[in-house]
Amino acid sequence: MRTGSLAALGVVLLAALAVGSVAVAPGDVLGAILRGLQGQVEQASDVIVWQVRAPRVLLAAVTGAALALAGSAYQAVFRNPLADPYLLGAASGAGFGAAVTIVYGASVTWLATLGVPTVAFVTALVTVSLAVLMARVGGTLPTVSLILAGVVLGSSLSAGTSFVMLADQERTAGVLAWLLGSFAFANWRDVLVLVTILVLAIPAGLAARRAFDLMLVGEASAKQLGLPVERFKWLVVVIATLLTAAAVSVAGVIGFVGLVVPHAVRLAVGPEHRELIPLSILWGAAFLVLADLAARTVLAPAELPVGVVTSLVGGPFFLILLRRSRMRA
Amino acid sequence: MPCRPWFPVTLRSSLTWLLVLLFTHGLAQGTVTDDLGRDVTLDVPATRVVSMIPTHTEKVCAIGACDRLVGVDMFSNYPTEVQALPSLGSAFEADVEALVALDPDLVLTDEYSGLHDVLEPLGIAVYVGTPQTVVEVWEVTRDVATLLGLQGEAEALIRDAIARVDALSERVAMGASPSVFVELDPSPYSVGPQSYLGELLTLAGGANVVAAELGAFPLVDPEYIVAQDPDVLLLLDAPFGESADTVRARPGWRALSAVAEGAIIEFTQPQVDLLNRAGPRLPEALELLIDVLEEYRR
Repeated sequence: MRTGSLAALGVVLLAALAVGSVAVAPGDVLGAILRGLQGQVEQASDVIVWQVRAPRVLLAAVTGAALALAGSAYQAVFRNPLADPYLLGAASGAGFGAAVTIVYGASVTWLATLGVPTVAFVTALVTVSLAVLMARVGGTLPTVSLILAGVVLGSSLSAGTSFVMLADQERTAGVLAWLLGSFAFANWRDVLVLVTILVLAIPAGLAARRAFDLMLVGEASAKQLGLPVERFKWLVVVIATLLTAAAVSVAGVIGFVGLVVPHAVRLAVGPEHRELIPLSILWGAAFLVLADLAARTVLAPAELPVGVVTSLVGGPFFLILLRRSRMRA
Repeated sequence: MPCRPWFPVTLRSSLTWLLVLLFTHGLAQGTVTDDLGRDVTLDVPATRVVSMIPTHTEKVCAIGACDRLVGVDMFSNYPTEVQALPSLGSAFEADVEALVALDPDLVLTDEYSGLHDVLEPLGIAVYVGTPQTVVEVWEVTRDVATLLGLQGEAEALIRDAIARVDALSERVAMGASPSVFVELDPSPYSVGPQSYLGELLTLAGGANVVAAELGAFPLVDPEYIVAQDPDVLLLLDAPFGESADTVRARPGWRALSAVAEGAIIEFTQPQVDLLNRAGPRLPEALELLIDVLEEYRR
């Protein structure tokens, strides 16, 4: 399953590199990739494929991987099927920071200098940290308080985002487009930022597969079985928050991937994390690459916000999957 | 305008409608149909006017009735004298109490603001409508002028504006059209040829790289823009931090000829207002576009 999924991801990546609003012959696509890997850009199609399309495709892949990994980790640690990477307020925090930067960047120079991704990353981290501080009792993180603090902080910040959006109607569409997610101006630096965090997070996630399984039986039992539950929760929250904040800051708030991909994997291979974690990473990457491919080709050369595609297409797809598995059971 | 009432065209109903029209027009000083298809009637010309969108403010002043304005929205900043008037928030978040306290006899606003639902039960006449095309600028100007009893002024203004537009278009009659990408914001949202700004661009002799099928305000795939390689980039988002530098830093955009030639126009906020507001300063907006495109017309 893992090898098959990895191969499928490879095919999806190649397809997404080959297809776009500008038609490029397959030979030119291959040539652009080969030349690009050597740092060369020769013809017009090289610019399209290597400089515009390739970072976009790869950023969608690493963002999908990051969100699905964070989502599957949260669903295990919080033992909550509705948990997603945005549960503790990362998305609302990032959204608020982005909205403030987009709307007030004109008059507040330091905001514009920092730029939307940096501000969004910082506000996401600050929001989750606040939720953790609110919920913390001594060295422990009671799960219910943590979720409540995250949800409440998130609602307040979403209200703040709406307020900021309406304060300048000329910028409303821009803020909304950011909130719905976009890979339009993806660049290699963004890809590198996420790859760096994933290089740390993926081995950690794979190493913790047994611990995630233990968490599923309940915190008390997990403790009896020798898992340092509190320390583990802290670690998961820190890593998942870094992943989510980085993903949201470069791609906007793309819903659904972190919630539904782990469930889809679970329906396919069951709840054990030995398969769940690696497959979530691979499927999350493939799903978001396909969603972005749809976003930029369905109405080409106009675009759909990728977050709209993930929810519109992913929702019904998931429901069908759910129905099928229930009928089999 | 998009919304017109639908009249059943039988002979009898036509006669009835004719009578209704004659009757209402005979009685009232001015009746106009607004963008929601509502008839707005004033028995005497409005003397205390509130404008909740900048284009209406500019229209009222352009037909010489600036002194009848008693309040404006927070975005109305032209002509400068309106900045001294009470500011009533935005059309979508209006300070209704302050607005009513000004005792207006006419409120001009946007069709989606919902203000008419609030104000008409209070006996305040409300005209809703935002011009979306060049033709609608003249239509809405006529409507507003009718409610102010200044039809003659409006006709003179429109005649003069159309004459200026005609004179300006002679400047662009010669030379090949440069291809142009208009950037409204860095998402990037742009304008189609059927939008007001798209129409102005065509009149100014620019060839929009965004095709009409994409709609009036499409979100455009950046790789399409790179492939189109427009001669000129018009940054209406320059007041919000976009510039020739940020454009050059975008992946793959360094290869654009507009970037290589430095054909990137960074508009200022007053210029963006001028271009975005479909109103009486249309000839000035057109002239600005013609001026910036001048050197790229080969």
